[in-house]
Amino acid sequence: MSSTRQESLRKAPDRSEALRAYVKQFYIYVVLLLIVSVFSVVKLGQVPMFGRGHFLSPDSIINLLRAAVPIMTLSGAFTLLMISGYIDLSVGSAMSLSAVVFAWMVLNGFSFLPALAVTLLMGIVMGFLNGHLVMKLRITPVIATLVTLNLFKGIALLIVPDGLSAIKGSATSPMPAWINDYARQGVFLGLPWAFYVAIAVILILIVVQRKTILGKYAVAIGGNRTAAELSGIDAMKYVWLLYVIVGLCAALAGVARASYMSLGDPLSGDGMETDCIIAVLLGGTAFSGGEGSVAKSIVGALIIMCVTTGLMTVIPAFWQTVAKGSVLVIAVVLNHLLVRGRVKA
Amino acid sequence: METNPVQKGLAGMRMSNESFITLFMIGVLIALFGAACVVVPNFYLPQNMINLLTNNWYIIIVGIGVTFLLITGNFDMSVGGVIALTGVLSVYFCQGANVSRNELANGLGLPYGVAIALALLGAMSVGAINAFFIARLKVPSIIVTLGTMMLARGTAQVITRGAQRNTSLPDVFGVVGNMTIQGTSIKVSVLIMVALVAAAFVLEKLTVFGRRTYLIGANPEAARLSGIKVARHLTWLYILSALLAGITGILLASEFKAGVSSRATGYEFDALVISLLGGVSISGGFGSVLGMFVGAVILSVMTSSATGLLLSPDWQFTLKGVVTFLAILAQRYALDRRKG
Repeated sequence: MSSTRQESLRKAPDRSEALRAYVKQFYIYVVLLLIVSVFSVVKLGQVPMFGRGHFLSPDSIINLLRAAVPIMTLSGAFTLLMISGYIDLSVGSAMSLSAVVFAWMVLNGFSFLPALAVTLLMGIVMGFLNGHLVMKLRITPVIATLVTLNLFKGIALLIVPDGLSAIKGSATSPMPAWINDYARQGVFLGLPWAFYVAIAVILILIVVQRKTILGKYAVAIGGNRTAAELSGIDAMKYVWLLYVIVGLCAALAGVARASYMSLGDPLSGDGMETDCIIAVLLGGTAFSGGEGSVAKSIVGALIIMCVTTGLMTVIPAFWQTVAKGSVLVIAVVLNHLLVRGRVKA
Repeated sequence: METNPVQKGLAGMRMSNESFITLFMIGVLIALFGAACVVVPNFYLPQNMINLLTNNWYIIIVGIGVTFLLITGNFDMSVGGVIALTGVLSVYFCQGANVSRNELANGLGLPYGVAIALALLGAMSVGAINAFFIARLKVPSIIVTLGTMMLARGTAQVITRGAQRNTSLPDVFGVVGNMTIQGTSIKVSVLIMVALVAAAFVLEKLTVFGRRTYLIGANPEAARLSGIKVARHLTWLYILSALLAGITGILLASEFKAGVSSRATGYEFDALVISLLGGVSISGGFGSVLGMFVGAVILSVMTSSATGLLLSPDWQFTLKGVVTFLAILAQRYALDRRKG
């Protein structure tokens, strides 16, 4: 009983609580606006701002969105998984492996749809493997997915022939030009298919989170897995399903990356897991699960893309890692201030 | 009264699960080594055996800190970044001041001892940042240490402009890392590793600090309720882990006489792998430094026999992944069998 009294004592400053909730709801949009406006105003003498024209010119917006396709595809599913209190560190490697497999198939004469189908199937298998390790064999998520991270990366490196750094066309067997069609060639408003697919994935996941049982169960499992199981939720099945969805999205992101770069780079997905974590934390998803929003993670993903591409034009490349690390730390602090306090009370 | 025979049985006849797993992994090691001797040419030569024990000294030093943290149920993914940062810092502090027009050749010109002390201080401050977020703000360790890994490695990249610093270093800089024990080819670094492992063993088994580490891992809440200052304890462990990574970084920088910003990429995973191979349980409260040492030798048998079989280096990632899974599953299976 003393705990309820403590709680009521802590609830005393009601107005600050309301303010916090308000800030929490809208800060991410403000941050995005702030970053975009800073980058569109800042102009350093001889530095050409972001490709052709300025940060806000149509060209550079299209560039930015095209480059953002993989993380937009991924971070929604990643959010759902983190809401349920689990994590998948292997997304980057899964993405690289998918990119390599897709590029290899295209190079060897498969047409788009079969190659896509095989890659997606492989994504499902990878997600299934992660789910199996974490849910069935009960290996701690971080360890299990760290190991699959290295496993997938290793397989991707093995697929790439010795002496080459990536699956790419050569003089004798060039990469078919249509590989670019999916993620580079504009189809509507100058944006490629991959972008609209990413939007579709995001919309589906938003609906899944808000309107379906899976979304509700993810929150329940993340809030308290034991309680969720006692009330009849088959946590193993649903989290497993979430892992499969993450794997599927990783494969889709890999296809987009391969098509965008027209090669299969076995290291192209490195660091994607940190990007996803940053996006999800910026989006206000609680570290320990039980609370979060897919839509806000997408805004978080856009923030990262703006920061990295924007900074690339302003500061030398060797500052990038520090910059991203700082963004992650800032995201953790923001998340702590806005989310943590209330959940823990 | 009735529990008496059981207790007696536990104490008298059965060894602890921890010794069981360590022995189990030693058995695996011997089996693996035997298989490698048969398959790989020249694997049984004494020089090769010495190499197996000594070549991994840097991972083992780092592994000590990582093992302690894993026993408490926390991760430290920042060690690789800290190694790079400390190496680069020690070089930067040591390089002569205003000696060249090339910015990468100019440092602060401090004496070697001061440079090392400052570099280690830098490493420990990364550990302190980790500890602040993890122990005070209760942020999951994996997220924080991924962030500090980027901060540490990123700072190293900024100092070296994405490359390395290796010029205008005093001669004394390259001494420690390349010194060998007289009459043998064994490096002093290996000696340091052995000393640190011995010290860690004592710390783990014979001190209150070690017992508290296990208790925190087994049940943090119970540990807190029984008066252990969990946050303070974790802080010390993170600083210790960063310090060990820092020592490794300085030894490596001295060995190559260069501060390379990409040094030690992926070491955090290797350190984790050897701890897991050695039987550290990630759910906490279980594992030992000696087991970690056995795990390191297992890993080095695996990788060097892969090299001996002329597999391409690309196999390393896959091999490590598969071996770790097998180790986790085998240990769990063995423990389950033992229980039931």
